[in-house]
Amino acid sequence: MTDARYPGLGQACAAVLRRDLTLAWRQRGDMVLPVLYALIVTSLFPFALGPEDALLRRIAGGVVLVTVLLAMLLALDAMFRSDIEDGSLEQLMLAPQPLALMLGMKILAHWLATAVPLIVVAPLLAGMLHLPSPVMPVLLLALLLATPLLSLLGGVLVALTAGTRRSGMLLALMLLPLCVPVVIFAAGALAAAQGGLPWIAPIAWLGAALALAVVLAPLACAAALRIALDS
Amino acid sequence: MTSTHPAAPLLEARALCFHRQDEPVFGPLDFRLDAGELTLIEGDNGSGKTTLMRILTGLLRPEEGELFWRGEPLTWDRCSGEVVFLGHQLGLKAELSPRENLRFAIGLHGHREQSGIDDALATVGLAGYEEEPVRKLSAGQKKRVALARLLLIPAALWLLDEPYANLDRTGIELVNGLLETHIAHGGAALVTSHGAVQFHGGEPQRIRLHD
Repeated sequence: MTDARYPGLGQACAAVLRRDLTLAWRQRGDMVLPVLYALIVTSLFPFALGPEDALLRRIAGGVVLVTVLLAMLLALDAMFRSDIEDGSLEQLMLAPQPLALMLGMKILAHWLATAVPLIVVAPLLAGMLHLPSPVMPVLLLALLLATPLLSLLGGVLVALTAGTRRSGMLLALMLLPLCVPVVIFAAGALAAAQGGLPWIAPIAWLGAALALAVVLAPLACAAALRIALDS
Repeated sequence: MTSTHPAAPLLEARALCFHRQDEPVFGPLDFRLDAGELTLIEGDNGSGKTTLMRILTGLLRPEEGELFWRGEPLTWDRCSGEVVFLGHQLGLKAELSPRENLRFAIGLHGHREQSGIDDALATVGLAGYEEEPVRKLSAGQKKRVALARLLLIPAALWLLDEPYANLDRTGIELVNGLLETHIAHGGAALVTSHGAVQFHGGEPQRIRLHD
């Protein structure tokens, strides 16, 4: 079955990544929406709670974290939708490439297009809420681990609900219990850093969960999408 | 491409049946397809042509019967890379240009020798549209972009689901020409249609899905 004419794994991964990133760039209006949402939500907090420095400083980390994770949910259900609608997913399945790896590349592209802009503006959002600057690196580290974890978990759920109509509601319900541990560990690291305590343990937990998800989530996605198209 | 089992046909179906919610869609079907053969699948709307196609790609599992690819049971990973499927959904990204769509297909499926993307687009009559987003093309032109994929990707078997839909007379001749070249080079093809189709190169085998 191996044939010199078939492209190598690296070439196929690059093709998927390049296509999805080109598509994201062509539709960059969609990329702006989660960033705008995060900006609006965080700027509303001082108005609602009052511009009291001590209070804002205490809630800043948690607010930014939750806002960024919620903003990611806005774009989550679009992860495989257009591919299912226009038949690209069938072509991906028929390609002589491991589907799980190709889907992993799609999830990576999705993370680059939606989460990275949010991580870039996160220091600005945190600054608006007077997050102490020594905590800023911990916030960024927590986001760098928590957002890909959410993308991977979300990818599995999007794949599982792919065959159903109006999957948005179902997706939100299923994602909630999976979000909770991510938020607990990320917020735990932030709280520890703000209290001047060692914060490495919760970050390590996030890293461990991410390592597990990187390996297992694309496999689960592939299995779920094969079932979704087998109908 | 030489087969490891010279005696075994490329694709063979034995007593293939498919039911949808206990309603029989088609079957039992028996057929075999060798390299260098063209088979037409005929049937009315709703007779299960597309369903049969999806089963043959391995995307859908048949409920009864067996399928063999080069003499071995067909699974989706055994024939992947040797089969090109052109369905109702063309698998093109509307925001990308024909050239970008085809470059992606090559990156994933591989590249046939002595064929370039621009040459393939010129062959299907889309010279000058290389950079246009696919969303701006007409239905027939989109189909032609998908047909250009057949020229570029190496495959032993073409599964074409309604390749003539949306095409004008020159487009229909184009499909017939592509099929003739593919067959002449030792490829095999399964084509569905619900109308009468004329082929220049000999009388094709026919599978009827009517009851």
